[in-house]
Amino acid sequence: MPMHPHAQPNFRNLFWYPFKITLITALRTFPFIGKRFGKKLGDYHNTSHPEFLDDGSRSRAASSVVMNDISRQEFAPDRVTSDLKPTLWKPQTVQYPYERLEDMEPWLFVPGNYNGRIGVIWETCTACKMCVNICPNDCLHMTTELRVDVLDSADGEDGGLGMELEVGKYAAVEKPEVKAELEEFNLVTAHTDAPDEWRFAEVLDLSGDTATVRWNDSGEEAIVSQDELRPADDQIVSGRIDLGRCMFCGLCMESCGFTSFFMTNEYDGMSGFTRQDLWFDASRTRVLPGVHQEAVDAELAKRASKERTKRAKKAAKEAAKGDA
Amino acid sequence: MDDKYDLVGFFLDKEGVFRSNIIKLLDGTAAEESASSISFAAGTFAAVNIVFLMLFFSQFAILWIERKAVARMQDRYGATTALRSLWVGENGVTAGEWWNMLPFGAGKPVGAINKWLNKKYGNRDENFPTVDRVNNRSWMGKTIVPGFFQNVADGMKFLVKEHMVPQRADKLIFEVSPFLIVSSTLLILGMIPLSSGIYATNPDLSILYAIAIFGIAPIGVFFAGWSSNNKYTLIGGIRSAAQLTAYEIPLLLTLLSVAILSGTFNIIESIHFQHAAGSWNIFLMPLGAALFLITMIAEVERVPFDMPEAEAELVEGWWTEYGGMRFGMLFMAEYIRTYAACFLFTHFFLGGWHLPLQGTIGSIEFLGLGGLYLLIPGAIMTLIKSWLVFLIVFVWARFALARIRTDQILEFGWRMLLPLAVLQLVLSLVYRLYLFNPDDMSAQNDVAGGMAWDAFGIPFFVPAATTLFWIGMFWIYLNDEDKSVAQERMFHVQTVEPAGTVVPGQE
Repeated sequence: MPMHPHAQPNFRNLFWYPFKITLITALRTFPFIGKRFGKKLGDYHNTSHPEFLDDGSRSRAASSVVMNDISRQEFAPDRVTSDLKPTLWKPQTVQYPYERLEDMEPWLFVPGNYNGRIGVIWETCTACKMCVNICPNDCLHMTTELRVDVLDSADGEDGGLGMELEVGKYAAVEKPEVKAELEEFNLVTAHTDAPDEWRFAEVLDLSGDTATVRWNDSGEEAIVSQDELRPADDQIVSGRIDLGRCMFCGLCMESCGFTSFFMTNEYDGMSGFTRQDLWFDASRTRVLPGVHQEAVDAELAKRASKERTKRAKKAAKEAAKGDA
Repeated sequence: MDDKYDLVGFFLDKEGVFRSNIIKLLDGTAAEESASSISFAAGTFAAVNIVFLMLFFSQFAILWIERKAVARMQDRYGATTALRSLWVGENGVTAGEWWNMLPFGAGKPVGAINKWLNKKYGNRDENFPTVDRVNNRSWMGKTIVPGFFQNVADGMKFLVKEHMVPQRADKLIFEVSPFLIVSSTLLILGMIPLSSGIYATNPDLSILYAIAIFGIAPIGVFFAGWSSNNKYTLIGGIRSAAQLTAYEIPLLLTLLSVAILSGTFNIIESIHFQHAAGSWNIFLMPLGAALFLITMIAEVERVPFDMPEAEAELVEGWWTEYGGMRFGMLFMAEYIRTYAACFLFTHFFLGGWHLPLQGTIGSIEFLGLGGLYLLIPGAIMTLIKSWLVFLIVFVWARFALARIRTDQILEFGWRMLLPLAVLQLVLSLVYRLYLFNPDDMSAQNDVAGGMAWDAFGIPFFVPAATTLFWIGMFWIYLNDEDKSVAQERMFHVQTVEPAGTVVPGQE
């Protein structure tokens, strides 16, 4: 029977070559002698200079330059020699979670359609409950939460389309340092809730340009300029997700009519030591501003224009009624 | 020649320090008449225990060798649970305050030391806040201590697991067979010497004893496979029984040829013979060494002859239903058998406790270098040789070769190993009768050793010629291909002119 030379069931292929290859693979990882034996594995394993990118890897990287501009990257950080044993060519296994593949070989990204951790743009959620209804495992629950009315700042200005500041209701002041921190915040590696960039308070009195408020966190009263204050409400829609029950089917994402509900392609940051740890509040599932700002802006602009036409129509109607 | 470190002599010599003191102690008491026997019993007890402890503790080394070597072959680090795992942690958080479980507050100082060490040398890098709490086996992600503690951790795990017996199992046989296997395996260690002076017992026919005792465990394997009342265990047990004769007979014939060559059925005497005749047996019978290794791999049921426990098809084969410490003991027994096989190979073919070139280097008189060389303990040499045999043969073969089918084992055993073993038997007879000069053997304790394998006036001609011949055979077999047959390349596109040899436009 004609066979490929590598497939011949002879003594050399069945006995000698397996021994040889395993020996070289093992010797490659030892100090001093490793470099010598690495070359014997040939180009496929890129062992002659494993800390540098081989031609195949570089061409792959160059072809995906749109995704990540690493086309000029020469160096593969996962193959650097160990700090403690400088002559040791360490195994090329990625030492997850100390190292992450997407950090070292960014062209090997997780596919965008991978159903990973749930992310919700809560700012654009309308509490239509389509996701809750469609969830086969009952992992989604709608709640309410004290939050800033984002529609107030639609169109990039405080257009006053949302709520007004009212005595007895809530307001909030932005914390710029937290806002800056959120730009860098990574829910995947943090394993904690994202910090809130708003400081909430109850409005006690409105007079002229200033307002008297009682801070929710400290309970102290203060007088703040009304320009700084944003109207907030404790009845704004929110939700929590039991990731312990989630099977990542993605039906919630498909049912969402407002593109607020996402399955991100992040595979980490969903672990905990108790079942309660897997109850993700809105702060844990929110998509952070740095990621979603454009989507939020677009959605809010749409709603603002809708609201504006509604108001315009209403005003026209009033005017027509007045004329009549 | 005898090893310098004579444990058995120390404990069992009637005039020695140990026994004479016991006899003196018993002078004038009621036990005076049987003082000799009592001191003998005490000495035997001490010697046997010390030898068993040495064998057992050195067995951890081969488990560790296997894990580490295999990891290197698979391009990873291997076991990393070091003793360090017991105390290292993140800022005072450790693997669990196990020292509080010790009685009478005995662990309190350990706990105090632990906490201090953690504070001083624990992982404190804020780059890995959660990781350090979960995985405390490495220091900032780098493994610096070999994972020698992994086997102890495994043993602890087995000890605390539940013992379960299948409802429909034959309960008596199910319980008995692990003990049959483990106890017969422990008996193997009884006659394995670490050196001429370090052994538990030394029966006259220890080679026969070794083979007889090795053959008991397969019966236990069959019992276990049958009594578990499970299709996988049954198939595993039957497979074990089926391949038994295919490798046992070549193994027996190979050992017989070793016995013929050395002229003795005693392991220690056969080692003395290798020194006194001037050559280790592996150079006189490379074929026998290869046969011995192959059949021993089959005997201890390791890859590529591990049909009885083929994980991929039979779950775990005949020991599928065993859990907890029963599994742990069977696992240990398998490794002890492997270890014993390494020792036997060392003793039969690699000159036992003798150092490499012991006669040549040992007889150097310049500056007493030869004497210094002979100070290296023979037991250490035995262990090193056995570990190397385990590493080079058992571990390497396990991860290089693929498991073969039952019919292939039978065919291989009956149609290749058996005729070759008979050939080796005949060769041993010829060597012993016609190529061996008994007059040139040295005395047993002569440092330089003898030159009994010379021919045509050339010393060491027989072992050298034999080794070269078999290496040549190996090379021929390696390149045994009919190159005149045109190879049709089924899987690759065939190029008439290889790339790079033709410049476009200039052909």
